[in-house]
Amino acid sequence: MRRSPLLWISALAVYAFLYVPLAVVVVFSFNDSKLNAEWVGFTLDWYRKLFQNEEMLNAAVNSVFIALVAAALATVLGTMAGIAIHRYRSKFLPALTLTPIAMPEILLGVSLLIFFIAVFGEESLSLATVIIAHTTFCIGFVAIIVRSRLSGMDESIFEAARDLGATPWQTFRLVTLPLIAPGVLAGALMAFTLSIDDFVITFFTAGAGVPTLPLTIYTMIKVAVTPEVNAVSTLLMLLTLTLIVIAGKVAPDALRGPSS
Amino acid sequence: MTQSVFMRRTVEPGRRKVLAALAATLAAFGVAMTAGCGKTGSDSEGDGDKPAASSGGNELRLYNWNNYLAEETTKSFEAFCKCRLVQDYYSDNEEMLAKLAAGATGYDILVPTGNAVQTLISQGALRELDKARIKGFANLKSEFVGQWFDPDNQYSVPYAYSVTLLGYNAEKVQELGIPTDTWAAIFEPRYLEKLHGKVTVLDSQRELFAAALIYLGYSANEADEAKLKEARELILRAKPYWAAFNASSYIKELTIGNIWLAHGYSNDMFQAAADARNAKRPFAIGYATPKEGAVLAIDNMVLHRTGPRPDLAYLFINFMLDGENAAQLSNMIGSGNPNAAAMQFIEPQVKENPAVFPSPERMQKLQQLRDLPKKERRLLNRFWTEVKVR
Amino acid sequence: MAETSSRTRSGRLTRWLVSGPPFVFLAVFFLLPALIMVVASVRYPGEFGALAPIFGDVPGEDRGLTLENYAVFFGDWIYAQIFVKSFGVAALTTLICLVMAYPVALLIARSPQQYRNVMVLLVILPFASNFLVRVYAWMIILGPLDLLFSRFAVIVGMVYVHLPFMILPLYTNLEKHDPALLDAAQDLGANAWRRFWRVTFPLSLPGIFSGSALVFIPVLGMFAIPEILGGKDDWLVGNLIKESFLGTRDWPFGSMLSLMLTIAVLAIAGVAAWLARRGAAHA
Repeated sequence: MRRSPLLWISALAVYAFLYVPLAVVVVFSFNDSKLNAEWVGFTLDWYRKLFQNEEMLNAAVNSVFIALVAAALATVLGTMAGIAIHRYRSKFLPALTLTPIAMPEILLGVSLLIFFIAVFGEESLSLATVIIAHTTFCIGFVAIIVRSRLSGMDESIFEAARDLGATPWQTFRLVTLPLIAPGVLAGALMAFTLSIDDFVITFFTAGAGVPTLPLTIYTMIKVAVTPEVNAVSTLLMLLTLTLIVIAGKVAPDALRGPSS
Repeated sequence: MTQSVFMRRTVEPGRRKVLAALAATLAAFGVAMTAGCGKTGSDSEGDGDKPAASSGGNELRLYNWNNYLAEETTKSFEAFCKCRLVQDYYSDNEEMLAKLAAGATGYDILVPTGNAVQTLISQGALRELDKARIKGFANLKSEFVGQWFDPDNQYSVPYAYSVTLLGYNAEKVQELGIPTDTWAAIFEPRYLEKLHGKVTVLDSQRELFAAALIYLGYSANEADEAKLKEARELILRAKPYWAAFNASSYIKELTIGNIWLAHGYSNDMFQAAADARNAKRPFAIGYATPKEGAVLAIDNMVLHRTGPRPDLAYLFINFMLDGENAAQLSNMIGSGNPNAAAMQFIEPQVKENPAVFPSPERMQKLQQLRDLPKKERRLLNRFWTEVKVR
Repeated sequence: MAETSSRTRSGRLTRWLVSGPPFVFLAVFFLLPALIMVVASVRYPGEFGALAPIFGDVPGEDRGLTLENYAVFFGDWIYAQIFVKSFGVAALTTLICLVMAYPVALLIARSPQQYRNVMVLLVILPFASNFLVRVYAWMIILGPLDLLFSRFAVIVGMVYVHLPFMILPLYTNLEKHDPALLDAAQDLGANAWRRFWRVTFPLSLPGIFSGSALVFIPVLGMFAIPEILGGKDDWLVGNLIKESFLGTRDWPFGSMLSLMLTIAVLAIAGVAAWLARRGAAHA
């Protein structure tokens, strides 16, 4: 009764809605036709063309590099923020950390654009600016995950460590860090995924010399769509999928999202 | 301390597995990408998409209009300079200027229209040309040298020119009785109604307002607020009948047959017509300059201040000043050619095409866009926003 | 305990060391840009568009500060109109997402424990694909159906991209419901619909509000979906802002619009938080 047929049907319909479009993209990446219209034949040509597309590969390398650095930075800063929020119960830091992710991305992108151009001049947009931008919006996610991990923890462990004479650094290194490690890792993976996938913020803060994968896909969609887009999409899906699965294994509750 | 040991024991194995999985994923991705890089180093199996770069890192970065340089020309240039030509595209001068203002740097060569050259010079964004390094300047037709925006050609070398006009599906417009030699076709509801919304106009504030102003009998560079308002009203009256503002894919739409009338550039229409012929479409694409007048755009090669390879840039300029290479701009792209030496290499039917090479009388009726003063520019911006939003 | 440790000298030092770096980073790269944007909204654009130099003056008649941008915004109905249109799209998207998310969240919450993680993962997986890919997928599907470049396509795209953001908070909330309540209602004679409407739904209001906020606010600022899937009449606030920065080069105007959007978002967030508190109190 609780799970009536009506519930099943409507839920499955929604699941189908979620998956059919992606299936279309994946299926047509193997289609031997330039138009994404009807199935002609199986081919790996588009993948081959993709791996020879230097612009695309350059963009992919940029994306991964940016994601690695931004995720690392965001993880370090976000972990610190998460700990600080949990332990020191300040009012200001949570607001500062969480607002970037609560706002529409365009606002962050545009304000950083103005900031960089106004303060550093017209030629300042580069890899560094994108990394900074990505870090800014990833810190919040890491902080949330770390903080929720901490809030589920028994405070007495930290007291015990202190009573035993551990310095704050020792407490952190030997007690806190191992305990929150899964959360930190999940946060890092989340930051990496968000950075690789980001479009809007990158759109405004990347100069001409910093194509990333989403930006290249965007140009391809607007100018000349070929199934190479399908191929790169499929591959990207595989990558982020793998990362999310791993993150799910590491910290299952972290992926529930903010519970209000 | 025992607590942490306990933690370490239980947390470590799981963590190690996860880290291993993570490392494996990233490694796999990295291998896939470097494998791809390896393939591009050697010559690809007959896939002529992008010629391999024999000298790594030797690139000329060109910021050019969509469809304004043929593949063949690109390939011959790359063979000539033993370098790679990396192109980025724009479909409107405003777009190019906005991207540059928003931090896009590192382009060696831009191809702005006259009014944009004017803006760039005032901004101090261009390198002065070293005339000694330019060969073939004498090939240019005298009427294109020393233009108003750069009287001594200190910064620019003419590249090609085009006319903004109307392209159409010949069968359909004849069937529906739409006149194609007047801007009324895209502004008058009595014609637009018949076209059932299969009309696109350029997504460019200067171009669309110019068309409206010319149709109303004013100058394309009109700065008077009342007249601009009139143009705005004309556009807004016609807007409901248009399918879209489109500056890049209208060629494809015309060729496929989704669109029957498009406001666009003469060279784009030339390509649409060629594509339609090659694809054996059941209709022909025609294009005509409206009798009220139209915008002439002279596009020029300029060196941007932040370009890293001016040496390659000069190679490109000299390459394009050569008669045979310049001729490809007309033969393959359908753009007007400011290069006298190229004329002998241009096919007769292209030479005689009045939309590509307007007659001297027609040239008199064509107007070039000039940059507006700041206040008027803001006014036009505002009107353009209203056009887009209402 | 945390309080006492922060009063000692080393405790205070630790506090600064831990909260300092993220604080400084965000102050410089988030607060400062926001402030600059506020300043930019009351200045004139530079000689060639973009922004006049922040420090130092611009030669000519446009110097100093001006409320011109705001005057234009409040002086013409069409700017408010575009905000209203964006709010409308956001509201419709949120509503549709809610209707579609509820069955899924309910199903997952009522499924046996061992299946739940997988089912949640299945909801998240589409999220693993790049945002543009998800939009592109709809280009492929709607194109042949002649539904592309329409308001319908924009809504479909918005719903598709934001659906997981509604499902997850809703599920998190629903999973905490005590089944005993529903049993009790059933014992008291309530049919399935009444049980849902009088018990489940009110209890789930906090989840609904957080999910709605997670959908409504991002949709307000979107520009890529209207640009790719929408027609000429589907411009939203995000498109206008993007156009100001990368099209007409009127950065002060764009800054002003961004500020207006920020205020709108803060207002919505405030309302959502207030409603969530009321909703929780209600249950």
